[in-house]
Amino acid sequence: MELYFDGAATTPLLPEVEQELTSSFSLYGNPSSLHAKGVASDRAIQTARRAVLGNLGAKSGRVIFTGSGTEANNLAIAGVLRRFRERGRHIVTSAIEHPSVLEAVRGWQREGWEVTFISPRQDGGVRAEDVLDAVRPDTVLVSLMHVNNETGAILPVVEVGQVLRGIPKTLFHVDGIQAFGKLDTAAAVRFADLYSLSGHKVGAPKGVGALYLRDGLELEPLCYGGGQEFGLRSGTENVLGIIALGRAATVAAEHRVHNLEVCSALATSLVEGLEAISGCMVQRPETASPYIVSAAFPGLRGEVLVHAFEAQGLYVSTGSACSTRRGHVSRSHVLTAMGRSEAEVTGTIRFSLGWWSTPEMVEQALSVVSEQVHWLMGVTRRGR
Amino acid sequence: MAVDQLIVRYGEISLKGHNRSEFEKILVQNVQRALRAFEGVRVERIGGRLSVHLAGNPAEAVAREVCRVFGVVSVSPVERTALSVEALTDAAIAALRQAVLSVEQLATTFKVDVRRANKRFPMPSPELAALIGGRILGEIGSLRVDVHHPHLTVYIEVRDEGGFVYASKYPGLGGLPVGSSGRVGLLLSGGIDSPVAGWLAMKRGVELEAIHFHSFPFTSERALQKVEDLAQVLANWGGRVRLHVVHFTEVQTEIRKHCPEELSITVMRRMMLRIAERIAAQRGLKALVTGESLGQVASQTLDSMKTINAVTNLPILRPLVTEDKVDIMRRARDIGTYDISILPYEDCCTIFVPKSPRTKPKVEEAERAETRLDVERLVEDSVSQTEQKMFKAQVHRTP
Repeated sequence: MELYFDGAATTPLLPEVEQELTSSFSLYGNPSSLHAKGVASDRAIQTARRAVLGNLGAKSGRVIFTGSGTEANNLAIAGVLRRFRERGRHIVTSAIEHPSVLEAVRGWQREGWEVTFISPRQDGGVRAEDVLDAVRPDTVLVSLMHVNNETGAILPVVEVGQVLRGIPKTLFHVDGIQAFGKLDTAAAVRFADLYSLSGHKVGAPKGVGALYLRDGLELEPLCYGGGQEFGLRSGTENVLGIIALGRAATVAAEHRVHNLEVCSALATSLVEGLEAISGCMVQRPETASPYIVSAAFPGLRGEVLVHAFEAQGLYVSTGSACSTRRGHVSRSHVLTAMGRSEAEVTGTIRFSLGWWSTPEMVEQALSVVSEQVHWLMGVTRRGR
Repeated sequence: MAVDQLIVRYGEISLKGHNRSEFEKILVQNVQRALRAFEGVRVERIGGRLSVHLAGNPAEAVAREVCRVFGVVSVSPVERTALSVEALTDAAIAALRQAVLSVEQLATTFKVDVRRANKRFPMPSPELAALIGGRILGEIGSLRVDVHHPHLTVYIEVRDEGGFVYASKYPGLGGLPVGSSGRVGLLLSGGIDSPVAGWLAMKRGVELEAIHFHSFPFTSERALQKVEDLAQVLANWGGRVRLHVVHFTEVQTEIRKHCPEELSITVMRRMMLRIAERIAAQRGLKALVTGESLGQVASQTLDSMKTINAVTNLPILRPLVTEDKVDIMRRARDIGTYDISILPYEDCCTIFVPKSPRTKPKVEEAERAETRLDVERLVEDSVSQTEQKMFKAQVHRTP
């Protein structure tokens, strides 16, 4: 049995999405064309747009399709800062954001913007008061992730959003990439001005994401051109990708409650099983998504664990997939910000679940982990 | 200029006495193999040189490939002309004009070198050279004659088949044709040094079989991919490289369990040599090649080399032993292995690297350190689990 526990990195294609794609391959019209071919493609895009809005639980607002979650985050940040630069020069975000937010605001920092990075608590959560205390009259944007991709911590985006509603000149962006399709996002979206999501974390293929915009909010685009996507994302639309994302959004909405229940139970048994393995430390954030479980094996290296597990058919990540690009395993900025020791940080593994996960898989995964960790501990600890 | 053939010169092969014809045969085969992408090209031996008939293929592209073949000293694109003073002169002027453009420094002097093998040609060599030289001076105003240290030389050969004229000479790599010195085993890691050592060995005519020690899960699939990419680059130079991937994990873990930490690298290297020696015996490899450079790391001191070397009688060739790191890096860039080697996938996981390895391990110490190690069984198991993969020169390679 393939034990895929890396759903936070990417998911397999949903069967429903695959079906929808297969039947849409003939849809080649340019959505901007005036003739019937164009209209057919455009209609498919509008259907997908409604599906995403519906999944988000938004009553109004716009969905702009992008090429990735990263692009959605970049569009949100650059779009707001460039549009509202006369309002101030200050940004508030957390120290545990995904690089697509962190690096984007650092870019703006180099352009002269002031950024306050809110430190997490030791468990990986972020206090709403800490965020709100940092907001000043010249704060143009607050950007927070809904669910942290390394620890699963749910950030207090609803509380922060509620308060920020009363400060209309400060806009609120939520990076919802690890929450979309998995948690109930309606409350967060109600209080957010912008909300980012990605297709390939919910069973659509790579290469499509979206940014939700509150009604009436105008942005400066990243990309200028033919004015597609409300003038915010020029370029002929990725029709098939958008159709896939729309279908995935619908399927995820239908199964959300059920999947959440199943994965909560699975996460609980996974955590219990891991805690029973000697040498393993599980520190769950106070509020956490059941889709992500992070565990530390101090003294072992995450990279080696990944390879040892994969040889047994178990696929996991060290921290986040993005931190291992080009083979460099960079030290996790999230775990470091949480004050974890060097040994814990280098020995941390992320298990992430999905609709395909079953109790049998968890059971088998635990036996692989236990066996491999035992073996590696033996190797690492010198005999004699 | 109508170039229809290349003249290929080779050096040391011609010194090899009665083996010469065998060497030449191998060189011809290697050149043919290097040119298999060019349709109709023909390679023949004439008078201590090779002649490559282009059959309409571009001279530059074919010459570039020939220059990569070990054993080739230089290559010249040659125009074949009718046997008349007029035709020889025109070709000489055209060849010189081309050469002026293609040399890197400003060329201001030349000489004419005439060889008249066809004694029926009515004009003797010195006279012909003077005549053509005079015509060149009239045609190309920027050139003067210098018979002692000319920037350019235009060669004119008068043979029975016709006139042969050329002025450009592209340098080859020299060395000996791959396959003329037998087969050796290269201990190939993912680092910078060992591929360079392998390349230098190939340059001396050996065929390479690479031996890599893989310690999954302590090293990743990506690290192995890197080694395969290096083997491919070496195969692009040498024609083909067989890669042996030795499963080394158990050896590593056993060493860690049973041997003193400060001697673990010494023991590990000794185990590698024992395994490589066994593979060498199976495959008929006559020597082992390593990328060791004297004093570069703890296992490459003279004491270490002696202690590690003590497990085998096979000759160990260390082409880089006296090279500095910067020079090795420069060579790696020229060969095309550097960018692959510097990819950060570790080839020997840090958990097996001791904090302070012994720099002067003694043979007896190493032997004592191995007493709790089931050396014979580990070597046997590793050899039996070794996987092989063949790499052949790619016709359309990325440079």
